[in-house]
Amino acid sequence: MILFGMMALTFVNGRIPFTGEPYPLEYPASFGNRTNIPADNPLTKEGVYLGRRLFYEKMLSAGNKISCGACHMQQLAFTDGKAFSTGIDGVPTDRNAMSLANLLWVKNFFWDGRASSLEQQALTPLAAPHEMGQLPEISAEKLQRSKVYPGLFHAAFGTQIISGEAIVKALAQFERTLISANSPYDRYLNGQYQPGSAALRGMQLFMTAPAPERQVRGANCGHCHGGPKLYLEVFHNNGLDSIPRDAGREKQTGVAADKGRFRVPTLRNIALTAPYMHDGRFRTLEEVLDHYSDHIRNSASLSPVLRNTSNEAGGASLRLSKQEKKDIIAFLQLLTDSSFITNPAFSNPFN
Amino acid sequence: MLYKLTACLLITIFAATAAFAQTISVEGEVTHPLKLGAADISKMQRTEVTAADRDGKPHRYSGVPVTTILQQAGVTLGAQLKGENMSKYLLVKSGDGYEVLFSLAELDSAFTDRVIILADQVDGQPLPDGKGPFRIVVPGEKKPARWIWEVTTMTVRFAKD
Repeated sequence: MILFGMMALTFVNGRIPFTGEPYPLEYPASFGNRTNIPADNPLTKEGVYLGRRLFYEKMLSAGNKISCGACHMQQLAFTDGKAFSTGIDGVPTDRNAMSLANLLWVKNFFWDGRASSLEQQALTPLAAPHEMGQLPEISAEKLQRSKVYPGLFHAAFGTQIISGEAIVKALAQFERTLISANSPYDRYLNGQYQPGSAALRGMQLFMTAPAPERQVRGANCGHCHGGPKLYLEVFHNNGLDSIPRDAGREKQTGVAADKGRFRVPTLRNIALTAPYMHDGRFRTLEEVLDHYSDHIRNSASLSPVLRNTSNEAGGASLRLSKQEKKDIIAFLQLLTDSSFITNPAFSNPFN
Repeated sequence: MLYKLTACLLITIFAATAAFAQTISVEGEVTHPLKLGAADISKMQRTEVTAADRDGKPHRYSGVPVTTILQQAGVTLGAQLKGENMSKYLLVKSGDGYEVLFSLAELDSAFTDRVIILADQVDGQPLPDGKGPFRIVVPGEKKPARWIWEVTTMTVRFAKD
């Protein structure tokens, strides 16, 4: 009776006791251990398995039309190849669907960083009317009536009573396992792969800041997209527009310096995740390179990293040669992790 | 409906945060948490240092010693910087999300003559767009990676492990 009372209290506090076998996360030491796992949602094998099923579960949408996997397709590194996605009602979303790779380390989710955990993030696409269009609480009622889910939730969270909170927790657990660390570039870092000459030249440019006064050519990509994870947890205005149609992070913070600022996303699997930018305006990597090379738009909130950064003295953009752009793209191809997009542990269990 | 209410609440909170956007929060292991605006900082004792940015050329940066701000917040500096306080650090955060770290001993004048400042002017002018209104300047450091711009938060913590 006392035990029951304590459990009831736990529920009143909104916490879900967990059970299950810990899920061992494996990743390179170079990725570091600054992971983002809420204390009340440790990964368990049961939770991750449930999360995977839920990720591909159409019952989580209004009319059972789509799952998370509709806009986050494994073969495209969990993107959908569209500038803007369409959900249950065919109305396009406001921003480009982001790749789901190495989210374990991310601290600010969405293009504008407005969610601080995957649990919090998942609430938006689930409930948004132009995405999956169904509150998690409604999803919980639907799953409760199914034959399999009460047992799966019991295994993962110690209770057959399905809640919206448990749904987003399981989804978040699964998403944290989506680790990409086996691209040719990773193997190069481990001394197990020798890139071709174009890719090596591209890598040199990628990692080097241009300094025309010292005859050093570079593209300085690594300033924001460097390190083994290929991103920094920062928000920059990358000069897409002088007056952005989408104010980005400024909409969240109200700070003028945040106008046109968006998250710096990882470049892992970048060859698979076209179209590019928060609004999918660039269809190809060539167009992306052309932007940074020749079309940076000035504004008060333009990233200082992109100001006066050029291979020509006084240039406003990088001014790369055609060959240099090709070389950088050859390097970007090395970031494609084919084992990530074919890993059965991440695939649709209903297929 | 609940979601709409939550969204409204969040927007209100964000709007409230925005009103204090150009301030610096000093928090963590402090006796007096601070929210400093430009007016507060202009009242503090100013200093000037000459240091070279990424362009390699020396510039005159003026502002306030970081220790002056930390002292006002009641951080354990000077005579108190010993024992377990030696495992404290200052984490400085930018509006763009970038973060850099200093140990307290690196900042304290009892340990070093180098004065790390929170600058608001370079060569007599306000800091340029994107780098202001406040930027950390670390004289003598070979690489300006800790010259963090658009400073919004200074947090003092104990190293836990």
